[in-house]
Amino acid sequence: MSDTIDKPYRSKVTQTEIDQQPPDHAMPAKRETESVVVVEPPKGLSAKWLALLSGIACMLGFSLFEAVSFIEANFAASPIVTSVLAVILGVFVVSITTLTLGEVRGYRKVTKFIHRRPKLSDLADNDSRQATLQALKLHADQFASHSYARQCYKRFTGLLKADHNSAEIVAMYRQFVAEPVKVKASEVVKKESMASGSMAFISPNHLIQSLVIVWISMRTIKRVARVYGLRPATAGNWKLMKILAQNLAAQSIFDLATDEMTNQLSGSLAAKLMENSAEAVAAGALNVRLGKTLMRLLEEEK
Amino acid sequence: MRKLLNSVMNPVRRASDAGSAQFAQWFMQSTHRFTITGLSRSGKSMLFTSLMTILKYRSEQHYQCLPLLRYLPMDLVDKLWIEPLGDLPEFPVESHLSALENGQWPPATESVAGFQLIVRLRQTNQLKKYLLPFTDVVFEFIDYPGEWLTDLPMLDKTYTQWSDSAWAQQMNEPQSQFAKPWHSAVNDFDFEQPPTPDNIQLLVKAYRDYLLAAKAEGISMLQPGSFLIPGSGFDWLEYGFTPLPSRISSDQSSPWTQRFTHHYGVFQKQWLAGLKQNTFRETDKQIILIDLFEGLNHSKSHLYQLRETLSNLSQTFVYGNPGWMQRHLLKQRKIAKVAFVATKSDLLPASEHHNLLALLKDVTRGATAQLSDNEVQFEHFLVSAIQATDAGSNAQALRYVNPQGRYIEATFEPLPDSLKAMPADEHYPALPAGVPKDHLARMLNGNGLDRLLQYLLEE
Ligand SMILES: Nc1nc2c(ncn2[C@@H]2O[C@H](COP(=O)(O)OP(=O)(O)O)[C@@H](O)[C@H]2O)c(=O)[nH]1
Ligand SMILES: [Mg+2]
Repeated sequence: MSDTIDKPYRSKVTQTEIDQQPPDHAMPAKRETESVVVVEPPKGLSAKWLALLSGIACMLGFSLFEAVSFIEANFAASPIVTSVLAVILGVFVVSITTLTLGEVRGYRKVTKFIHRRPKLSDLADNDSRQATLQALKLHADQFASHSYARQCYKRFTGLLKADHNSAEIVAMYRQFVAEPVKVKASEVVKKESMASGSMAFISPNHLIQSLVIVWISMRTIKRVARVYGLRPATAGNWKLMKILAQNLAAQSIFDLATDEMTNQLSGSLAAKLMENSAEAVAAGALNVRLGKTLMRLLEEEK
Repeated sequence: MRKLLNSVMNPVRRASDAGSAQFAQWFMQSTHRFTITGLSRSGKSMLFTSLMTILKYRSEQHYQCLPLLRYLPMDLVDKLWIEPLGDLPEFPVESHLSALENGQWPPATESVAGFQLIVRLRQTNQLKKYLLPFTDVVFEFIDYPGEWLTDLPMLDKTYTQWSDSAWAQQMNEPQSQFAKPWHSAVNDFDFEQPPTPDNIQLLVKAYRDYLLAAKAEGISMLQPGSFLIPGSGFDWLEYGFTPLPSRISSDQSSPWTQRFTHHYGVFQKQWLAGLKQNTFRETDKQIILIDLFEGLNHSKSHLYQLRETLSNLSQTFVYGNPGWMQRHLLKQRKIAKVAFVATKSDLLPASEHHNLLALLKDVTRGATAQLSDNEVQFEHFLVSAIQATDAGSNAQALRYVNPQGRYIEATFEPLPDSLKAMPADEHYPALPAGVPKDHLARMLNGNGLDRLLQYLLEE
């Protein structure tokens, strides 16, 4: 480049020496070759929780009932002591209700997640890249810290450059966050539906089968939601509950039908096998339906 | 680094060489013939070097470079390698890289070089999704001195036409400042003397001195630029010529006009015709690199002069436009595309990039006006082959290491978004940023190449 020293022109660039070392540039991020594992709690925890919670509920119920009858019975004899007990009991009940309501609020988060989800096609047309980035960030802030969605988002932010415009940012968001998350979620749904199918296949009676399907369905919801970065226990949503109930109903109707068929065929082993495999296919298919519905809910609207 | 390069540079035999029909190749390979052209010092060699390095690291080590390049998704690239391109000498990527390693910019290009880069795609089901019916994408690159490019329009002119237009151009600002010694040499010259080799040498030397001085001062319209490059295959000592004042050039009976007309014809036949045929071959994707910082560094009139040069060159940009044969018979319905690229965008803070882009559009206005008549698509881009600068303390500032090794913060006043808006008495000194030590990471972090390639590759 030519010298710039003695020009008759005024310089529009002011230069000052600074007393710092230039920063070293990092190499760009590498694409992960191994698939990212979705973080899951240790196995059995949920069952333990269920046992624990129902145990606690029983204890609470029984003791609550006992306590109330106790207070009622003894109020006449010692009014002060029973009043104090009643107040303590009241405080306890109120606080436990607040805790429970907290969980319920968690259920409503899915709706909020969906509500806050930015419409990507609109963002792409936004003139301000800052606004686009802000909207995506607001959405991504809801991703749980170890979720797959969060990892994808982190990788995406590493690729951003100062002169990317909104359309490019959105295209990259689709390519590096939305699309991989969707692929991952599909994998989860497929795996869970296989599980659902095989459980239906091996389950000996309808009660167990139904319970198992409820369990797998809940698990599907939980795992899919987690891929999308929703925190555990926030995956509740009315629409999903309805689908879940429908699935159970569909499964029982299916059971009836297959029962009828097996009656006709008389209770041979082959018939039992056929019944179970038909139910397995149905259970798997219904679970896919559940998973896909959740994915549709969590993805951008088309 | 070195080992990696050796592995790229070792040509792998292409399946087609093993005798399989040319026919199969049409279906198996998607050839994208890229020609990267640009005036001298516009950043061609650096861009090639960077592009090869980036594609290599992206495909072999899965560095997430070029995120906007959706056409060649990382998952689908199996491998890539370099092959020689026809009879052209190999592009000296290795020596360019070792220059960078030693903290030096690649040396100025003094001859033509070329290579092809072949990207083999993986055969997966996913491939079908992208509807790529072929396995290889072939890029052809040719690098040559920018001075040759500016000579090509001389092919379509007679000596007198060229002489008159060259003479007129020298009368304009800013060239006229540097042309004074040359003009007085011509005025003092006695054209009644016969055009002996010695006399011709005298004139050619004076003219060449002017060209060299003008080049050093950032002038791009330098004809014949081939006289300035030692590697050019034209003997300007034997067949030299210069423009002459029209009182002489219009006099067909003047022995000087006759002699120079003859030499000009030799120049066209022996040098330019072959150059156009061998170097500026048919191509459907043209990248035209433009260094706006050179003009901004000097003055407003330099930018006008650049616009004029590009306008004169625009016909050469469509030489490559694939003919009817290729488009219709071979069913390669590719649209010819031209990308105007302002290089070295890292020398300006990101907050001023939109102004640089606007300025680029204005500077190429004359050229694009002619392209629109030729069914050629065009678009404008900003690119940096290497991110040699760092962010500054505010949005209008950036930092760089100067040749003395000092770390400097430069604060920019807003750039004009058109030539008209550029003040006549102000300039933007070009920052003499050195090659950073972490040049590899900074090449991979370069800016805008993905956007450019995506535009050129998508159908
Ligand atoms: N900061 C910066 N400087 C560049 C870049 N590309 C080229 N340069 C500078 O421009 C000069 C000319 O580049 P080169 O590639 O040799 O241009 P060519 O004559 O068109 O081949 C180099 O020596 C560098 O100083 C870039 O991306 N960033
Ligand atoms: Mg070069």
